[in-house]
Amino acid sequence: MLVGIPLQSNNANIPKPKECAQEMSQFLVTVADKRCKRSFAEIFNYFAPRLRSYCLKQTGNEALAMELVQDTMSNVWQKAHLFNADKGSPSTWIFTIARNLRFDMLRKQQNRKEDICSDDLWPILCEHTADANEVTLEEQMTLQQINTMFESLPEKQKVVIEAIYIQGKSQQEVALELDIPLGTVKSRTRLALQRLKELIKDDD
Amino acid sequence: MINYHPTEEQLSEFAQGLSSPALALVISAHIDMCGKCQKHVARLESDSAKAVFEDQINIAANQPKEFASMLADITCLPVSESPSATPKESMIELDGRKFAVPRALKRYVDKTGNWSHLLGNLWQAPVDLGPIGKAHFIFMQKNGRVPEHTHRGTELTLVIDGEFSDGISHYDTGDFILMNSDNTHAPHSEASEGCLVFSIVDAPLHFTSGIARLLNPFSHLFF
Ligand SMILES: [Zn+2]
Repeated sequence: MLVGIPLQSNNANIPKPKECAQEMSQFLVTVADKRCKRSFAEIFNYFAPRLRSYCLKQTGNEALAMELVQDTMSNVWQKAHLFNADKGSPSTWIFTIARNLRFDMLRKQQNRKEDICSDDLWPILCEHTADANEVTLEEQMTLQQINTMFESLPEKQKVVIEAIYIQGKSQQEVALELDIPLGTVKSRTRLALQRLKELIKDDD
Repeated sequence: MINYHPTEEQLSEFAQGLSSPALALVISAHIDMCGKCQKHVARLESDSAKAVFEDQINIAANQPKEFASMLADITCLPVSESPSATPKESMIELDGRKFAVPRALKRYVDKTGNWSHLLGNLWQAPVDLGPIGKAHFIFMQKNGRVPEHTHRGTELTLVIDGEFSDGISHYDTGDFILMNSDNTHAPHSEASEGCLVFSIVDAPLHFTSGIARLLNPFSHLFF
């Protein structure tokens, strides 16, 4: 049981914002320097009910509101030495602590209902095509999987495929660049795509 | 120079604690890199704090009896180490190069997996953020290129180091980019030092050309 720390029980004498900031700053300094429980109680009595009211309005959840008050005020007690009056008022400092804790709470709360279907960033989708061969969500491939297939191509085919499909060059440009006939570019492309097609089939 | 910032509305929601967790993380990392937004958000936070704490509320109704024991418990807690517990590792490394990450991302450095090398001079390393979205560090080497794509959800990107273009704009270190289904782009970097970005997507991308065409119905592949 707590002895000697009064809990404010009514809303008499609400201080003016400016005086309040100075007063609260002073309490924070005393908490930081002397671990003064009485000063902390003053801070707690002012901020805790307001934080609770704020969080209740945002979430409508009593347990969450209490958790946020507890976490925020614990931070204030444990990190009072990090408060810097030159950088802002006590209320701004305490508000940002609460706000950041709130973001952390949301982060943990967000459950996996909207889980992302692939383990990778870039699954390849063709779901908007009305084609019979369309790739379904289950059949998505990732760049990484394609990469593995691509790596298995003969070097000469790789060069052509990379130039056309990644750098977006035309077959004519590739022919000029590699100094080979256009027909060779076309046949290398065709062979490579046939090979990839087989690999993709095998992958199913 | 930073040219792309979150919108006024996004910053204001962030300051009030109303952003989604993924957006909050990327905005917070942008703010670490952008003095302009930092100042602006500090002012918005001060406004929000005033609104919350100077509000005339019914104190008695918000003073549950549990507060007494809560107060007692808190004052038994030890002081936190100072300065605040910063993670030991705050650089990410690729091929011998080290990159400093903004403060907000430091807690994720040791949740970053191994780099894998992809087609098109790209590297990616997954970052485990939990369920809020799929995050990666992506490195585009010089001439590195992500195939053109649009977005089924939201793609948030923060440029950590370097510059890149995507056919819409040119982006520099610190730039904040939000793309959705309205945008189609093809990020690539011409910078000799390449470009490192941090990216979160909440749904898979939809590729519109390039390498993705390899997977389009095969009958269309043959010219
Ligand atoms: Zn900014």
